Amino acid sequence: MVRGWKTVLTVAGLAVLGAVPSVAIAQDNMQSDSMKKDDAMQDSMKHDTMKRGDTEPDKNRKALFTGTFHGKVHSTSGRATVYQGAGGKRILRLTHFKTSNGPDVHVILVAARDVKDDANSLSGNVERIELGKLKGNEGDQNYELPENIDLGKFQTVSIYCERFNAVFGAAALAKF
Amino acid sequence: MNTNQRSWISGNRWILALIAIPALVVAWWEFRPEKLFINKKVSEAAPFVASGEAQPVYTGVLEGKAHPTSGRATIYQSPDGKNYLRLSDFATSNGPDVHVVLLKANEKELALVAVTGELDKVELGSLKGNQGDQNYDLPAATDLNKYQTVAIYCERFHVIFATSQLEKF
Repeated sequence: MVRGWKTVLTVAGLAVLGAVPSVAIAQDNMQSDSMKKDDAMQDSMKHDTMKRGDTEPDKNRKALFTGTFHGKVHSTSGRATVYQGAGGKRILRLTHFKTSNGPDVHVILVAARDVKDDANSLSGNVERIELGKLKGNEGDQNYELPENIDLGKFQTVSIYCERFNAVFGAAALAKF
Repeated sequence: MNTNQRSWISGNRWILALIAIPALVVAWWEFRPEKLFINKKVSEAAPFVASGEAQPVYTGVLEGKAHPTSGRATIYQSPDGKNYLRLSDFATSNGPDVHVVLLKANEKELALVAVTGELDKVELGSLKGNQGDQNYDLPAATDLNKYQTVAIYCERFHVIFATSQLEKF
């Protein structure tokens, strides 16, 4: 009987050890990619000048791209906007944002014009850039973009559950 | 047979529990079912916010109806509370007596090629140019919760060149 207990403990221990690393490995599929310079960045106000108030602390801050979220499997809404600061650093900001909570949900950029609302529409071949774990399923939040990402190529923001390869929602970015 | 099975289960229930508990823990960790009911709300400040500058409040992409049109329509709010519409990266056809107007999103005439009835519209002025960035002041009383569609409208022929569905920025 004592040997039986040991066997069971070993089996149970192995089951836990076996399950955890497979999940851990599943999180490492993201690869950052593309080192091309971004041409779309050189957009400038052309004819009318922007109306401005008297004080102007950060003249270079501007919204580059924006789009609204759609998502059916897990209802997702809100806006995604890419800002550029004075130093050239780019930040993705989600506003009026709402989606489902879930396990292992990430914010990614996808090299596609848009992503379909099907749950598993992101097949393995699509290039993607990891921006980080979703900070909250509701509310305004910022994500830093790695340098040198070509936003002419990575045109879609997606809320993506890596564990189940499920697209919660997506926003196609258009020039602001 | 039945009693045999029951006695086997009761005799080995601690072993079964030892198998079942880790399996349940792993299943819970994978699926996290409680997250279906728990929200995680965050509220980060906007990056690089500069006060004293007009802020975008609504924006939308222009889509051609009667004429191919491209660009973006954005409503900015100045610090003094005044709103104005800005068209950027804008290009449409030239035409006679073309105006920029705001319509209700559920305006029935939007489904037609040529407007037949009266348009419930907010007039913003004659189109300054058929290409290029341009600004239009909004009348102070404009209710942006109601009038959320920008339209490029040819008054002479009652044709809507293009529309843009505004959404919160």
